[in-house]
Amino acid sequence: MQFDFPLRKIIHVDMDAFYASVEQKDNPELKGKPIAVGGGSKRGVVSAASYEARKYGVRSAMSGYLAQKNCPELIFVKPRFDRYKEISQQIRQVFFEYTDLVEPLSLDEAYLDVTQNKKGNPSATLIAQEIRQKILDKTGLTASAGISINKFIAKIASDYNKPNGQKTVNPEEVLEFLSALDIRKFYGVGKVTAEKMYQLGIFTGADLKKKSLEFLNQEFGKSGQHYYNVVRGIHLSTVKPSRTPKSVGAERTFSENLSSEIFMLERLENIAQELEKRLKKSKLAGKTVTLKIKYSDFTLQTRSKTLPFFIADKSLILDNAKELLYQSPLENSVRLLGISLANLNTETKNKIEDKSITYQLKFDL
Amino acid sequence: MKFIVSSTYLLKQLQVLGGVINNSNTLPILDNFLFDLKQNSLTVSASDLETTMSSVIEVDSDSEGLIALPAKLLLDTLKTFPEQPLTFVVEDNNTVEISSNHGKYALAYADGAEFPKAIELTEPSSTTILGDVLATAINKTIFAAGNDDLRPVMSGVFFQFSPESLTFVSTDAHKLVKYQREDISASEVAEFIMPKKPLNLLKGILAGSESEVKIEYNESNAKFTFDNSELICRLIDGKYPNYEAVIPKENPNVLSISRSQFLSSVKRVSIFSNKTTHQIRLKVAGAELNISAEDVDYSNKAEERLSCAYQGDDMQIGFNSRFLVEMLNNLSSDDVTLEMSLPNRAGILTPADGLDEGEKVTMLVMPVMLNG
Repeated sequence: MQFDFPLRKIIHVDMDAFYASVEQKDNPELKGKPIAVGGGSKRGVVSAASYEARKYGVRSAMSGYLAQKNCPELIFVKPRFDRYKEISQQIRQVFFEYTDLVEPLSLDEAYLDVTQNKKGNPSATLIAQEIRQKILDKTGLTASAGISINKFIAKIASDYNKPNGQKTVNPEEVLEFLSALDIRKFYGVGKVTAEKMYQLGIFTGADLKKKSLEFLNQEFGKSGQHYYNVVRGIHLSTVKPSRTPKSVGAERTFSENLSSEIFMLERLENIAQELEKRLKKSKLAGKTVTLKIKYSDFTLQTRSKTLPFFIADKSLILDNAKELLYQSPLENSVRLLGISLANLNTETKNKIEDKSITYQLKFDL
Repeated sequence: MKFIVSSTYLLKQLQVLGGVINNSNTLPILDNFLFDLKQNSLTVSASDLETTMSSVIEVDSDSEGLIALPAKLLLDTLKTFPEQPLTFVVEDNNTVEISSNHGKYALAYADGAEFPKAIELTEPSSTTILGDVLATAINKTIFAAGNDDLRPVMSGVFFQFSPESLTFVSTDAHKLVKYQREDISASEVAEFIMPKKPLNLLKGILAGSESEVKIEYNESNAKFTFDNSELICRLIDGKYPNYEAVIPKENPNVLSISRSQFLSSVKRVSIFSNKTTHQIRLKVAGAELNISAEDVDYSNKAEERLSCAYQGDDMQIGFNSRFLVEMLNNLSSDDVTLEMSLPNRAGILTPADGLDEGEKVTMLVMPVMLNG
């Protein structure tokens, strides 16, 4: 299969149950036992779970209470972020032996572009093997890797043979791989888009590929082009060495569930205040305001709206968050509220548009 | 049925009524004027179903009758006549014959009974207002009413009557005008939304009028009676938004300036603004107002400085210049006051002088967000 653009070799490296593995390695007593990092306090959330715990259905971002219910023998460990950072640095040293094009996504995963690499090794598959071996030697931890022609496919591939495995999707396999892929796995397809895709009869990459660009543009607006490209193996996003944040947010879990919007306004104000602080610190502003609501039954809801201009100050953040809060009635009592800003002014395309876009404000009638 | 009438007198009355008639009607009878003759008094009506207006015209006659005459044909004919008496005679073959000094003209008429009956108001409340005052109230507000079909309530002018005052409000969500008369009152509290079309008619007829206008209204209709005419219209159904809530209460930054200077500066500078946003930037500091505009696409730029009286923090705020021009044009005072709180909150424009006792005008305009 031919692609009419230069092919790259991208590796996505993902540590296996990173925080939990670090804890098990540092404290041999925990080896082979179901452990959860974080989630020990009354309303805490599990940051990571060991594979032993995952067998019982313990997942990251699950509440400690639910995790305990799923796995009564679960051992809660307090997170030690400094230690994770330290090990993360060691892992990054390994990456830098091969390339400077390393885009860390978090402490435990990163994209590497090894099209040109310091070892002059033409095989990304072999590089991935070497890297995983070196990480194991250096830290005693296992990693998984996905290798392909773009970030999108590499990331999906790293999940295939997890833990302690890797998967290469060669250029000639790319289209077949994407055709067989569940539509929910596509980058940018969340719950709502997936629902819409289903209604349009799109369940796999193959279904998506049958749709014309016009059709996708009509149904999905700006994202249409993206979906059209991605299923054809086109995802030109480069590996960006210093990753700029895509969104900034703040959230609070309440000690007691809140049942009415009235009680939330004050909390929302505090969250907006915190968010403003974080935005100021990194001199950021954003256009998309997202309100995150987690109900007492742990279902998560996000409501967002995009403004035609950047905001960074508390009062505007709060106004928009309130609007989102009142947009539709609450389904249950609420245990967590969060506000985040995305579409940040770090993205260059926004900076260019910025010049000519102005926005006529309206009365709130 | 036969009557004699002055040609120019009839034309004048019919031209006013003609404003009610739509250019294209689904109901062909609405292309007609209804002539209802009772001896010396001829009542002529025109309707578009929503609005019906009628005027009583004095004629020379001793007969009775009810016919509908094609409006356009009649107006086109009357316009050509110099002042003279015209005789209208209904013939047997469903035509009306008009005799002038020049000759005879026959036009077909329709049965007057086909013409839709004007709505009778049941149990109306009422108040009276001087014609010119009503015309002024309409004039001050109607330009700010919206055109959005999705918010029909905002496409009209909100009449708010109470024993203390009469208030007229309009808004299109970008600008808002509140016109208040504390010197006039209604017997009871009432609120209704008048559509633009009948208001435009009333505005034209009543400007400068010293006659009293009797306004009667109920849940669904309003009736305006003055001189020899009456206008009945259907009201816009729905609840008017709570406009009071959007009027900022605390506006620490107060700018006072000559209206004509401000207006001509805004007009001049806006020529250089972006052709779609019409955005201009006001910067106030000390006793100086700086008005600037820029069209980045064409490298056009303008900046003017005006002296003003200003109390408050230095501030910078963007507006759509067309809104400012409309509002400043609509006022007639020498000086105006612009009160502001924040660059993303409405600015409040009020006249500083030239108001009648008990008259109050408040204009609000939402800013444009500025970049950089």
